[in-house]
Amino acid sequence: MNEDDTTSAQIAQLQQQQALLTRALRAAVEGRWRGEDSVEAYLYALDPSLQGQVQPDPPSYA
Amino acid sequence: MSTADALSQLEDQQGLLTAALRAMLEGKWCGEGSAAAFLQAIDPTLPDLECSPSILTSTRPAAADPTLSAYEPETQMPRQSTSWTCSACSLSWLLRALQMAPDIDESRAVAMIGSPNNINATYGLMDGSGAQIRRVLSDHGLTSSQGWLSFDQAYTIYATAPGCMSGATWYHWVAVRGVSGANLSIANSAPGYKGVFSTLSREQFNALGPFSCIWITK
Repeated sequence: MNEDDTTSAQIAQLQQQQALLTRALRAAVEGRWRGEDSVEAYLYALDPSLQGQVQPDPPSYA
Repeated sequence: MSTADALSQLEDQQGLLTAALRAMLEGKWCGEGSAAAFLQAIDPTLPDLECSPSILTSTRPAAADPTLSAYEPETQMPRQSTSWTCSACSLSWLLRALQMAPDIDESRAVAMIGSPNNINATYGLMDGSGAQIRRVLSDHGLTSSQGWLSFDQAYTIYATAPGCMSGATWYHWVAVRGVSGANLSIANSAPGYKGVFSTLSREQFNALGPFSCIWITK
């Protein structure tokens, strides 16, 4: 893989991560902290090694 | 800055954003390892953040709640007359503040909890979770919930509902009026005990817990 290919791969990965962070922020704004399409789900998509390491304590909604 | 350096910086920032997201999910909004800390790591030029834990409430109009509409958070809390009746004082304060039993006092609350089986001079309240307090509340038509809560959980709940709580290390029950700034506002029948008067900070909460928290749900 030459330098251009490496740079393209890095940019593609950053774009994917950016998209996941955006979805996670949307889930937070919409109050979905756990379960499908949630902050927790996108966090694990960003960093799969976090599974089993996180101790969720999401906000309560009155 | 070279392209490689720029990409490296972006990767570092992505890592910090992910860490901030994890902190939010774990309820760490302020302080070490918090969302605020990672935000300032991403942009050290940000001015000092005025961090406060989130209190999220529905934007829908609140339904009328006859119980809480009668609630008087400034209801007076007399000093307890003995060393073992803090739970009875907390219960009687709650019933007076909610206008459910305006004449109830410490000794009547002891009788309602059930002496000596449920509360006595040797141990105080026998069930530290507060099950008998909840039973008396239920006898007065009040619905309550109980949990062993973190400070952030307790703060969020007590911001909208009164209750009472006991710290296992503190070995003391107090009623909770609500919140005051970043602290819990409490009705304390033994002001000054272990350095606590009318408020309980995050640091005190963490030092004196774990806390069994009871709060009124309707």
